[in-house]
Amino acid sequence: MDTLNGQSKICVNNVTKCFSSKQGEVTALKDLSLDIRDGEFLVVVGASGCGKTTLINMIAGFDTPSSGKVLLDGKPVTGITPECGMIFQQYALFPWKTVQENVEFGLKMKRIPKSERKAIAAKFIDLVALNGFEKSYPHHLSGGMKQRVSIARALANDPEVMLLDEPFAALDAMTRQVLQEQLVRIYEKHKKTIIFITHSIDEALLLSSRIAVMTARPGRIAQEIVNDLPHPRNADVQLSDNYMTLKRKIWDSVQAEVLKSMEVETG
Amino acid sequence: MDKENHSSKPIIISIISLTLFLGIWELVCRGGLIDPVFMPAPSKIFARAVKLIGNGELMAHTLASTRRVMVGFMISSMVAIPFGIFLGSSRLFMAICDPFISLLRPLPSMSWIPLSLLWLGITETQKYSIVFMGSFAPSLLYIIEATKSIDPLLIRAARNLGASKLDVMREVILPGALPQIISGLKVMLGIAWTCIISAELVAAREGLGFMIMNGKEYFQTDTVMLGMVMISITVMVIDVVFKKFERRLLPWTR
Repeated sequence: MDTLNGQSKICVNNVTKCFSSKQGEVTALKDLSLDIRDGEFLVVVGASGCGKTTLINMIAGFDTPSSGKVLLDGKPVTGITPECGMIFQQYALFPWKTVQENVEFGLKMKRIPKSERKAIAAKFIDLVALNGFEKSYPHHLSGGMKQRVSIARALANDPEVMLLDEPFAALDAMTRQVLQEQLVRIYEKHKKTIIFITHSIDEALLLSSRIAVMTARPGRIAQEIVNDLPHPRNADVQLSDNYMTLKRKIWDSVQAEVLKSMEVETG
Repeated sequence: MDKENHSSKPIIISIISLTLFLGIWELVCRGGLIDPVFMPAPSKIFARAVKLIGNGELMAHTLASTRRVMVGFMISSMVAIPFGIFLGSSRLFMAICDPFISLLRPLPSMSWIPLSLLWLGITETQKYSIVFMGSFAPSLLYIIEATKSIDPLLIRAARNLGASKLDVMREVILPGALPQIISGLKVMLGIAWTCIISAELVAAREGLGFMIMNGKEYFQTDTVMLGMVMISITVMVIDVVFKKFERRLLPWTR
């Protein structure tokens, strides 16, 4: 496909993934191909159960394709790859570690000395505006704060790619908006390649540089849309004709897939 | 005012009920309704306690039993915790060890007493070994269960941040399972006391079990009952200490 603007960072090549379940063999993804360019903010939109998480799990190396290949910098992904920092919807913070210890985790695993770890952690805690909470344990924090810790933890490990699996789905609307803005700022500042999964079209339009719409199960890419809306994507942008046109375009294709998946469920 | 009443009332009631119980017991014994060899009055037990505290015997026996429980229990926990975490994280290793654990687990610690006496004689090592054999297999099972209760998402997150499998065991599984491991070990500590008293009842030269058995030999029923009361008190005190220790170990649960 079009790899004109920069090289391909991640290449998902004809990937099929089957699971065996009680109802027999389930095909989650079927011949899915997707190219993610270096420095791109790709948002994958799809109805629930379309295999979005399966896709991101295979990029992270948590899961292996039944057939096909996932390439990172041209090399096949064979195991869990710390180069792809993952951010989970359920935060996945270590409850027995303080905010600071959570953020330091990846650095500790790299056997970086304590004083250095502390300095790096402080920088990223500052980035997500959690100063003063360094010594707090996760259960004292709100959902939004937890997700900010999780973002800082991933960033402190300096991954080349960040994978976000519906990271803001469990947050209230106000917090979500704040975190979305923060994420865009982090993206602009740190120039990471980002793959972001969501079922919210608005979220996709606000964040992405490109959007991939997934089909109902078995998941494939139905449509890829370049999102060239101007930044910052404030209320004016969200009311522009351009925004509405894009939204309609995505909605039409998502809606068709949602209806299809409902037919599968009832039929 | 209301709150104060709520918190102090049950304690007052408890004290009254205990005093009443002891009072009736005392009166029944003084009235000659029960043979003192069969059941001594609380005052007799108290007098025995004063005497044995005075000559240092009670403390010596209590410390001997406590030391045995602690040493045996520590060794058992120190082996069971890493071993259990390892077993809980490796299916292959679990399959290898499973038949042995399954065979060991139903064996009551007391069934090890004859063998341990043959192998080790009436020694301190023999006492530790009884506590160890009685608490090791059940501890191991608690720890394996605790290991399996860890949220797999946390393991994924750790691996994603660059943790090796060994790092995961040390940094995720151990601390994540710790609250459950500790509550399991609390139960095990009770079992360790059962083990040691049984071992001392069979063969020992000191300890609360020995004191009870020796008291029985001389028809000193008050000594027997004092020994029993002492076991209760010691276990209760250790429980309180353990709880303090637990809070220190699990700061994130506060």
